[in-house]
Amino acid sequence: MPEIIVKPSSLKELWKTLPGLPADRKYLAGGTDLVTAANAGADNASCWLDIGGLPELGVMKETAGTLFIGSGVKLSAIQASSAVRKWCPVLYAALPHFASPSLRNMATLGGNAANGSPCADGVCALVAEDANVCLELKGKKRTLPLAELFLGPKRTALKKDELITGFTVSKRKRAGAYLKLGPRSYFGISKAAVALSAELSAGKIIKAVVALGSVAPVPLRAAKTSAWLAGKELSAQTARAAAGLVKKEVSPITDARSEAGYRREMCGVLLERALLSLPGAAK
Amino acid sequence: MLIPVSEEKNRYGLLALSCTVNGRRTEREIPSNRSLLEFIREDLGLKGTKEGCGEGECGACLVLVDGKAVNSCLMTASQLQGRKLVTIEGLKGRDGGLHPLQKTFMAEGAVQCGFCTPGLIIASEALLRRKPKATLEDIKLELTGNLCRCTGYEKILSAVEKARGKLHKCRK
Repeated sequence: MPEIIVKPSSLKELWKTLPGLPADRKYLAGGTDLVTAANAGADNASCWLDIGGLPELGVMKETAGTLFIGSGVKLSAIQASSAVRKWCPVLYAALPHFASPSLRNMATLGGNAANGSPCADGVCALVAEDANVCLELKGKKRTLPLAELFLGPKRTALKKDELITGFTVSKRKRAGAYLKLGPRSYFGISKAAVALSAELSAGKIIKAVVALGSVAPVPLRAAKTSAWLAGKELSAQTARAAAGLVKKEVSPITDARSEAGYRREMCGVLLERALLSLPGAAK
Repeated sequence: MLIPVSEEKNRYGLLALSCTVNGRRTEREIPSNRSLLEFIREDLGLKGTKEGCGEGECGACLVLVDGKAVNSCLMTASQLQGRKLVTIEGLKGRDGGLHPLQKTFMAEGAVQCGFCTPGLIIASEALLRRKPKATLEDIKLELTGNLCRCTGYEKILSAVEKARGKLHKCRK
């Protein structure tokens, strides 16, 4: 645990407070990753900034074309949101498979992204939703496609003290699926996960985005497979061909959770199943 | 609100924590880096909440914060500021005796070593508050974050099912 925890009550207060704090500082969001790391002695920052009290991060709002999900909204609140159910079908499908109910009462999407893990369920789902991530540093804002936030395992494009304030998703009608293979059906870290969003019309895929977890150094947006799927019939044949393609796009490793070859194979299986689970798929 | 940072004694920031614990207003001055679990067990002396894995995997440390089940091993006590904490000691039946879930856990033999029991009862209470008519499937999903290495879960599920219906009647 750090020596001090500071809790600003607004973004303005946060930026004002920063200069007086120890240089080795970290943001504390839901704490489910950070406190675990501290308990295990893997995080030695001497100061945490508890951003749980920042009202700016705790909101979800809709404009005409987009849905904004604040980085500090608890996953259980996101799961209960009718706007998320309507406009983020992949995220909505992923959340029941994200950790456990009590951890979802604590964890946030901001923390899930900032942690930079390739297995982050919330992030993979949002990458498939083609989400943007909103960042702020001392009042200066910028927006990135979410997939571009990740540089490698646990490495992100976040600058020192830069804060994830939220995520935006465009309100376009689409179908989605999230299939995760772990050691058990619920509450496990994935060996491989496939997130799929698709805009469909008359049995055809207009646009699809495939994202994968735990099979590359980053939450992977499978650009080639996604592009290939556009314009294809939503059929068993398409699903099988896409499965073959996606296996060439991933670069899994063998680690404590699974083996590289198995993971690669499962990416194909999961994508095929995800495609065939979409409404109107010819089985 | 900024937690006052004190340079006295140990460089630890001291936090004047104000919260509600099992219905009672509680104020303590604690190091701001105290974990919620330490606060509950060491500062408040409420030993019903257990530390199992210390990494959010087992659910033995579950408590209710503002009515929601959370893993107290992964929260800082500072995150409790201004909020309502209920531990297993705070659950009571209408008559002030055992809570219906405690009774059905006993009656169904859902307790063996008992280490996971407080967490399981807290998780079940959170579910039945939210969803008084929870199905068996709801119960199974809600308890995915709670490990029991003795009972094999069947008796636990049966205990929660038996408490369902009795529970919302006794709540104020």
